Amino acid sequence: MSRRIFITGYGIITSIGNNADENYQSLINRKCGFGGLEILDTIHKQDLPACEIKLSDDQLCEIAGVSLKQGYTRTTLLGIIAAKEAMRMASLTPAEIRTAGLLSATTTGGIRELERHYYPLQDPFQHGDFEVFTDTANPGEHSERMAEEFGMKRYIATVSTACSSSANTIMLGARLIRNGELETAICGGTEALSKFTINGFNSLMILDKEHCRPFDISRKGLNLGEGGAYLVLQSEDMVQRSGKTPLAELTGYGNTNDAFHQTASSPDGAGAFLAMNMALNTASLVASEISYINTHGTATENNDLSEGLAIQKLFGDRVPPFSSTKPYTGHTLAAAGSIEAVFSILAIRHAVIFPNINFNIPMDELSITPEKELIEGRPLKNVLSNSFGFGGNVSSLLFSAV
Amino acid sequence: MNNTNYYINGLGIVSPQRTFDNNRFLQEIVSYHANVLSAIAPDFKEYINPIQLRRLSRMLRIGLTAAIICIRDSGIAKPDGIITGTGYGFLNDTAKFVSEMLAQEEQHVTPTFFMQGTYNALSGLVALTLKCNGYNNTYVNKGFSFETSLHDAMMQLNEGNLKNFLVGAYDEADEVQYKVNSRINHYKKHHINSLELFEHNTDGSLQGETAAFFSISKEKGQECWCIVKGVRMVFRPYSLAELEQELDDFLLKNKTATGDIDLLINGVSGDPHNDHFLIELKQKFFQQASEVRFKHLCGEFCTASSFGLWLGASILKKQQIPSAVQFNLVSSPRPIKNALLVNQYMGRNYSFILLNKNV
Repeated sequence: MSRRIFITGYGIITSIGNNADENYQSLINRKCGFGGLEILDTIHKQDLPACEIKLSDDQLCEIAGVSLKQGYTRTTLLGIIAAKEAMRMASLTPAEIRTAGLLSATTTGGIRELERHYYPLQDPFQHGDFEVFTDTANPGEHSERMAEEFGMKRYIATVSTACSSSANTIMLGARLIRNGELETAICGGTEALSKFTINGFNSLMILDKEHCRPFDISRKGLNLGEGGAYLVLQSEDMVQRSGKTPLAELTGYGNTNDAFHQTASSPDGAGAFLAMNMALNTASLVASEISYINTHGTATENNDLSEGLAIQKLFGDRVPPFSSTKPYTGHTLAAAGSIEAVFSILAIRHAVIFPNINFNIPMDELSITPEKELIEGRPLKNVLSNSFGFGGNVSSLLFSAV
Repeated sequence: MNNTNYYINGLGIVSPQRTFDNNRFLQEIVSYHANVLSAIAPDFKEYINPIQLRRLSRMLRIGLTAAIICIRDSGIAKPDGIITGTGYGFLNDTAKFVSEMLAQEEQHVTPTFFMQGTYNALSGLVALTLKCNGYNNTYVNKGFSFETSLHDAMMQLNEGNLKNFLVGAYDEADEVQYKVNSRINHYKKHHINSLELFEHNTDGSLQGETAAFFSISKEKGQECWCIVKGVRMVFRPYSLAELEQELDDFLLKNKTATGDIDLLINGVSGDPHNDHFLIELKQKFFQQASEVRFKHLCGEFCTASSFGLWLGASILKKQQIPSAVQFNLVSSPRPIKNALLVNQYMGRNYSFILLNKNV
């Protein structure tokens, strides 16, 4: 069970970049993806700005290297682009890809296409281009489509635990490797913006029309975003055999349930505390060994309070530097966990801490404040990355330098 | 993970048959005539408190009820973790939200159906109800959703000190999926009597639904139903030979020969286009095993293998094969010790689950 799990590649596409390098440049230059919507067709283009990838589905098809109009949902396309970059970076051989597992997450899958073609799809007498999106609203569809694109069939799983989904795919990948089921796992999540999520979160009154402000007293809610990110996880044996240089190590993970409310976190962050603590335990690390926390930090009143209190409880008066990168990418829901896993690894590799954009005045209830400015030249040994979701699902991942 | 016994120590299932009472076993059979099979639920008030009940959608009620039946059956009030699998989740609620959003042109949309439509709503609700802070996950991978959940629980039991997991599956017969998937002949074009599903040589199956929960542990409980030995998923086998090879490897890893299988629980869906691999497997390797089928009783849905697991667990525990599921019985009956559940969904997701009688 104690087999080590290494990250040998990662790939990412968000509103701040089409690959890992572009994302990194945006992160250190405070370039955020927030703004009016141009690609998604919604009446809320201006009044509910979000972090949108300014590429049409056809442009995404080109980047992904797939044929146009073949029924690839936007969620699938973002997934293919990010996973391909990850596999390239890991220099996976065709044999490694064939025997790898694909563990992917989404909360909406092809809802964007379902809502666009909602009535025609349900009318058997209508025919047209929309028919390529028959049965693509199913969340499992995107991972099967990706697996087929890559020629993978060894182990395909799709996770949907709301906003902690892709953190759970990374944890599952590690566990499948430790249980001897796989040597290589491609893990992550993908999520396209949709009217469904924009109107859903708007109806819950947790969207901020302004740019979100995590951990600030004036925070009013989250901004939505879209994107995809995948990690290549490989067993220690596989890394040794192939002579690869690992980029980072996944040392810990925790998954718990807050068991407090359907859509809200407990005020004291009970579940978050347990998940972070479990991540430390699986890594056999103590709190003082954590160098940086990439928080969930959605900028909703509820999340930041709950998460902040859980951090204070776990770390006491020695809270490590922490920040939320949500102002850069928006909340990408199922993809948030893997996107921020990539950011955590980028932080380790470049010895930087990314700033918590838009933070000015601390919350009354917390005694801690996030990093406002970019910190460079700070070697990071262990980075904790949090992802929390509806349904009380909370997960925490721990990445370490190698 | 090989050669470990995973005990099913409790179960609860709400399906289109009267399966919610664990003391009864398919004594009366319900037939359906409009190609959609709907769950027969008990009085929810016996399982869910009235305040909570009012707030829950139909599928959350059915799912929570199945979980509570399972909890009462196993006697384990608080499991160490909860894992659920579903193909389409709460598409019914999602569709209500989308319809309202489109009809009102994105103005003044109400949040209820959005909140209740997330795929993990049931695992979260069960955790909330049982006050279970432990591991919690939801898999949404079409015809592998339940199998992945079961596999995850088996790995969890292998990894550490956790003893009991609640593994659930749920799918709802909803209208949007019915209409959309009728485009790809997923359902039969003409209405048939559900009990005659295997007599019609036409494309498509019947739409069904079920919520099922299983309490699983490496320690045998007092009410143990059966032992799960292993689970294997096969994605889109190119040929029967590939599926055979996976079956061979799976049985070999579990030190079982095809001749050891006493009972084959066959997840054929009544669609000859998708069923032929499973029918050929039966003819080629399991001539000496009794065959039972179940999708004429529960319909087809992504997590129908959960109904198959319930059926296998019940037959192994009660040592009785109800006439409604008998398909090919061997002439000289022997004790049913080893059962193999084979399943396919849309001819893409194939799975094997190996079960042993509790000894």
